[in-house]
Amino acid sequence: MAIRVMVVDDALFMRNILKDIFVRHGYEVVAEAENGETALQLYQESKPDLVTMDIVMPKKSGIEALQEIMAADPEAHVVMVSALGQDTLVLEAVEAGARDFIVKPFKEDKVLETVRRVVGQD
Amino acid sequence: MDMSKYRELFLSETREHINSLNQLAVTLEQEPDNRETIDALFREAHSIKGMAATMGFNATAQLSHHLEDLLDGFRTSGDIPSTTIDYLLEGIDLLDGLLDDLQDDRPERSTEDYLTKQQGCAANGEENNPQQPPVVIASEENPEPEKEPDTFQVLVELDKDTPAAAARGILILRELEKFGNLRTSQPDIDELRMGGSCGQVRAWLSSFQQKGQIEAALLKINGVENVRFIEDRRKTDRRERQTVGRTIRVSTDLLDQFVNLTGELMTHRNMLNTAGRSRDWDEVNKAIDRAGRLIDELHHNVLQVRLMPLQSITGRLPRIVRDLSRSSGKQVALLLSGTDIGIDRVILEGITDPLMHLVRNAVDHGVEEEGTVSISAGREKDLILIEVADDGKGMDPQMLRQKAVDQGLVSQSQAYSMSDRDALMLVCKPGFSTAEEVTETSGRGVGMDVVKAAVQNLGGSLEIVSAAGAGTRIKIRLPLSIAIIKVLLVSCAGRTLAIPITRVQRTLDLPTKEVFAAGQQRMFRLEEEELCLYSLAEALDQQQVATGDITWTVLIELHGRRLGLQVDGFLGQRDAFIKPIGFPLNLLTGLTGATVEGDGHVTFVVDPQALLERHQIDVNQ
Repeated sequence: MAIRVMVVDDALFMRNILKDIFVRHGYEVVAEAENGETALQLYQESKPDLVTMDIVMPKKSGIEALQEIMAADPEAHVVMVSALGQDTLVLEAVEAGARDFIVKPFKEDKVLETVRRVVGQD
Repeated sequence: MDMSKYRELFLSETREHINSLNQLAVTLEQEPDNRETIDALFREAHSIKGMAATMGFNATAQLSHHLEDLLDGFRTSGDIPSTTIDYLLEGIDLLDGLLDDLQDDRPERSTEDYLTKQQGCAANGEENNPQQPPVVIASEENPEPEKEPDTFQVLVELDKDTPAAAARGILILRELEKFGNLRTSQPDIDELRMGGSCGQVRAWLSSFQQKGQIEAALLKINGVENVRFIEDRRKTDRRERQTVGRTIRVSTDLLDQFVNLTGELMTHRNMLNTAGRSRDWDEVNKAIDRAGRLIDELHHNVLQVRLMPLQSITGRLPRIVRDLSRSSGKQVALLLSGTDIGIDRVILEGITDPLMHLVRNAVDHGVEEEGTVSISAGREKDLILIEVADDGKGMDPQMLRQKAVDQGLVSQSQAYSMSDRDALMLVCKPGFSTAEEVTETSGRGVGMDVVKAAVQNLGGSLEIVSAAGAGTRIKIRLPLSIAIIKVLLVSCAGRTLAIPITRVQRTLDLPTKEVFAAGQQRMFRLEEEELCLYSLAEALDQQQVATGDITWTVLIELHGRRLGLQVDGFLGQRDAFIKPIGFPLNLLTGLTGATVEGDGHVTFVVDPQALLERHQIDVNQ
């Protein structure tokens, strides 16, 4: 059975890149959200095995959305997506429960490595 | 019959026998046909057998009996082959392990595998497989009731350019925690939470898991470049960890002297009473004088009881150096001299680990292919001087200066103006050793910085004498007794304080007009060097009183640099009996004890280095 992923990012461009990578490697993209507000709801509806979450988004930030998802499901596998120079936010996210993070611009193999590792956990 | 009251004695005596066995075995290796050595070995094994059998410690008794038989065979024929000596040493280590089991109240470990190992090793010198794997501790049928996890040091190196390295570090620590008990790490989780750069993570983990599994899991993490394991030597070199025992031997002569002195003091008490009643002040004074002398003598004798020969910890060195030479492939000879010198047992305990580390350093880094490590001890006025020397490649002060600059520990200008003597002390700066040196030397927590700190904590000092190609001599000076030390009395913020003389290089009467300012920092010139000046009062969070024409300064050394500490006046120097400070005052940084004056007054002893560190005086700024 394919691994089910949810992609959260306010930029359609980024969501498409990630979706492409996932689909090409046999993952199933079960949901995508463009802001933190809909993220929690979509998470609970689609129950993905893994979420990629952009750190900086308008309205609700990735970290807030992360916290909400972790509160609802402490076992959630969330991987943060960040740009360079956001070390402090990445630290905050990891402290808040993110399982790992990838930094833009990312290499396809790094994304896959990270996702495989996180999904392989417990 | 209840043997438990003989337990302590059994443990300490057997330890001594094992120490002797080790020393004799190493001697035997150099002269395999020496009958006297073989005889002596036989007797030691025989003694252990007797005691163990009496105490009902069967595995220990059986093993000693086995060794005794082995040695007996060679008593007549002589000439033990080296493989047999190796086997013998293994047996001695197993005895040591059994003793640890008994000491910690565990059931004796199994000796099955060792005993059945070299059956064919008879007096005619038949040899079996020379390189047998080390003794297995537990067999399948008798599982060890409490199997202990391995503790090891893991070094995880990160990609140079990996982003958000601190967050990576936290993920690495989290992964490690899944495998067991993460005892501590460098950097630790709190440091990582504060962000900043992180090139590698060094962690100490206790785990039942296989290293291969741990390594594989860590390598899966993005940004991890390399994973290395460093065996925690503290577990494998058990021999080195034997601390000074809980019971001591006191010579009966010394005890006789106690009885005599206390007897005389009691007589004296009567004389004092009589003189006092008669109000003959001459008589009273004479009696007090005499009593004073008796008390001094009694005190001296009490301190003698606390003394143990340096031999108590150096005794195990021949075996350790032999093992180190073997594993490093070098030919290292060990020379010990003056080791019968008596040292306060608390100091002895505190100097054990540092001494072991220095010896290991000498073998690992000092001696080249062949050489000698020598340890000598002697008195130097009222201090004990222990010197660990090697005749190997030595250290080049210029290279050390360069390395320190490269590692960002000192600036170019500081390195340039540093004397050779100070340059050699750079190896004691925390963080100086490269990763490879740390893996080779020992497990966690021991490096030259720790050695220096340990020596200073005991009230001593460390000096390094070395030059390229000329070998290295590490000189450790220690006070005779931890309880009585020479202190410098100073007045500061309206109080009298004591500073241990070993912490002070010298005192200076600095004319105040020679003190100048460099920005906010007061400075002064000494021997063509410019040094920083701080105030002891301010280090104690007190007001520094207005300075007159003279700035009384104490010259101290902190982190390899000299600096001045202003006090309000010098009141003299004396021997003080230091008493430890009790809870909760002992939680204060910078106070190391107190001494009670003749009039009942309490004078606190301060640690100037700790006080300055508390104020985060960064000498390198």
